[in-house]
Amino acid sequence: MPATLARAPAAPRDYAACSGCNLCQLVCPMWRSHRDPRFTPAGMAKALQYGATAAWLAAPVEACSLCGACDPVCPEGIDLPGLVMDLRLQLANSLPSPNPALLDDLRARLQQGAAAPVVSRSAPLLLPGADLRADAALLARVQALLGLAIADDDGADIALALELGVEIPQHRLQQFLASLNGHSIVAADGLLLRQLRRWLPGSQRMGLGAALSSRPAVRSNLLATDLYVIEARGYHADYERMVAYYDRLQLETGCALNLDLQRIAIPAVAQGLSQKLEVAPGDDGAQAKWILKGRRPARIVVESMADCAAFERVCDLPVVHLAELGEDPEMIKRRPHAFG
Amino acid sequence: MKIPPVEPGTVGPCPVAPDALQGIKRQQTNPARWNGAGWQDFVAELRASGVELAEGAAACGVYATDAGGTAYGQPHGVVLARSAGQVSLLLKAAQAHRVPVTVRGGGLTTEGESVAFGGVLLDMSGMSRVLGVDAAALTVRTEAGIYWHALAEELRRENLDYLSAPLNLTSSVGGTLGVGGIDVNSARLGCSADQAISLQVVTPTGEIVECSDSENAELFQRVIFGYGQFGVITEATLRVRPYTPLAMHYYYYSSLRTAIEDLQMLDRNDASDYSGILTIMDCAVNLLVAFDSDEREAAFRKNWESRLRGHGEFGFALCMAGHYALRPWKLGEALYLLQRKQAVFPEFRRPEYMRDGKMHDRTVVFSRAVWKHWGSRQMVIPDLATSADKFIEAVERGNAICRQYFTHYTLYCVGIKLRPEHKPHYEMSCVPPDAEGWAYGCEFEPMIEGGIYSRDHFQAFKNAIYDVGLDLGASYYRFGGMMKGYIRRVFGDALVDRHLAMKRRADPALILNRDVIF
Repeated sequence: MPATLARAPAAPRDYAACSGCNLCQLVCPMWRSHRDPRFTPAGMAKALQYGATAAWLAAPVEACSLCGACDPVCPEGIDLPGLVMDLRLQLANSLPSPNPALLDDLRARLQQGAAAPVVSRSAPLLLPGADLRADAALLARVQALLGLAIADDDGADIALALELGVEIPQHRLQQFLASLNGHSIVAADGLLLRQLRRWLPGSQRMGLGAALSSRPAVRSNLLATDLYVIEARGYHADYERMVAYYDRLQLETGCALNLDLQRIAIPAVAQGLSQKLEVAPGDDGAQAKWILKGRRPARIVVESMADCAAFERVCDLPVVHLAELGEDPEMIKRRPHAFG
Repeated sequence: MKIPPVEPGTVGPCPVAPDALQGIKRQQTNPARWNGAGWQDFVAELRASGVELAEGAAACGVYATDAGGTAYGQPHGVVLARSAGQVSLLLKAAQAHRVPVTVRGGGLTTEGESVAFGGVLLDMSGMSRVLGVDAAALTVRTEAGIYWHALAEELRRENLDYLSAPLNLTSSVGGTLGVGGIDVNSARLGCSADQAISLQVVTPTGEIVECSDSENAELFQRVIFGYGQFGVITEATLRVRPYTPLAMHYYYYSSLRTAIEDLQMLDRNDASDYSGILTIMDCAVNLLVAFDSDEREAAFRKNWESRLRGHGEFGFALCMAGHYALRPWKLGEALYLLQRKQAVFPEFRRPEYMRDGKMHDRTVVFSRAVWKHWGSRQMVIPDLATSADKFIEAVERGNAICRQYFTHYTLYCVGIKLRPEHKPHYEMSCVPPDAEGWAYGCEFEPMIEGGIYSRDHFQAFKNAIYDVGLDLGASYYRFGGMMKGYIRRVFGDALVDRHLAMKRRADPALILNRDVIF
């Protein structure tokens, strides 16, 4: 028998397994903006394979928006968003932050959260996240459409800590997970949803967009002339199920989706660490423009509040949040942007 | 053996002359690393002219190997292409300081052709924007570092598609035009390179030149299929076409010969829009036939389908069941086929890519399956390209070698329609000189499957396949890089020396992609 020297162990799931196929580059908003292979998951993985440290990779690690598009396309099954989050954690522990006050505040919130009592509920829970909580009217509409209780602790501090590379105290995480244990969960924050899939593997979880668009009151108002913008993080966090779900949605409603040819969701907003730390200007609208290129929708329907603002900045089309499709006329008056 | 002294920064006497391998163990080796003479002066000049050059592990580590994963080398520094003017400045400085420049597109070479063994790595992916689509004329002008898939994404917004590209999402346009490129529609539309109408090229001495069949035709002929020797392609104008989904048909054979005969019959008669063979070893041979239009599909069904000797999926499964029932000692092989079928077939039928029985975005479907089920950190894919009449023998002999060296492997065969007016392009390329009408190519791809093989084993396998090519008067798609020892043996000294003389005129310091061909 020829020279098979040994059988390799089961395929690892860290950067060492990267074969450099660059499929992640095709879907990476960071690449689209920089056109530099160092600003791709494969670029980071390859550099790590050949001796780079987290500090040397600071620029791409900070530029990544954690949209998760690279995750489902990686043929090696490498946890690429997890790799970036690990590197962010290493960076936060080794380099001074450009906005220490924000990080100190977050650490204090994590500690405070850990001290709060666990409130046990029996109904399915909605984790609205910071953006939706800030819009009480829309939150009420979402709650009415879904018929869910709002979680007292929606883990917004944990979601932000994941994003910024801040270490989450173990007791805070355990307390948060204990409050969710046994519940069905609808989460608006895609990054948190992704982590919940790992932390609570047996639980029933769904993104806010999928939960809302499955409601007849909402779905029946989707039109073939709509551009429906999927929230990228939640979609990629549960890709295999979501690709089938949205394929059916498109077949049933005829609406266009912000999917590329690989059926990866093109994020409408790509904000890196600097934007999240509020030390750099916000989204430049390039992603939203790319989604719209060559498309002529009559209306844009978004799952995420941040996407709403992104499209309003770059086009004159009516932009509505998914929850608004089923809402009453009074509410539309209060949100005049909704139908232009 | 006495090794003659070589002036630093120059290429010495050809180390792969016809007799160079005599008495030398055939062992895979990287080219010698460039010694770095004058690097700092070169960098100073480059930076003074405003060209950004990155050094260090984070920048260079990305490029340490190519898709083949058997050649390893690192550049001294990396330049990310941003414009033809910047590439021109780089090449002028490189000529002056005799610094080697290795150009990389998608990095999908398998023999180290896009790996830099010192010097500058010029990464073309920085030039990857579509410059303009002319939907009326069905052409696109694009920067050449763009990946075919990224081009397809842009074209689809106009409901257009490229004509032909490798079944790989991350091949670059420039890299593909430099070597040829094959697709499952190549039997009808020719090589991917044949769709190029005109190019913007930066010559090795830094001139920015537009070329086509009618303008600077000689440069156009040398750059297309030129393996990067005669210039850096920075922009390309390509033919495009309206996008269509495909009606796919699969026919299964247990004989390579029969399947190839049927493939060639279809190609000769222009019976399908797409055709190719993909196998699981030589046990399950899949002839893929596909159509852009219902009319073409109906004509195929009426005139040609009954002449095919392959089975449908169910019929073939029955044949296989009978075959292995009589050969219980081959149970392992049968189980492998079954496992492979269960793993791979669903990839080609994912519902999100199927509408009304037609496949959308075939390149995505095929490429994702290829990377998922065939890709690994090492890919060894020797190939043979022959005239139509020699093809069956080439595939059968190559198949026997695969069986000898690997437990599992795949063969991928396609025809390539040749365009007589492009004959000058084909000289010293993957298109064999004796091919008329069609050339045929077969890739022999072992399944690494997590196994660890020595580089010697891979090299012995490649040598065995390429020796078949020598015997048959074939050519190869991957004759560059570590396989360049075959170039003189295949094409002969006279032709290679003529091209080398052209290379020396175009590239006096022999700086551009110097470890690839000569």
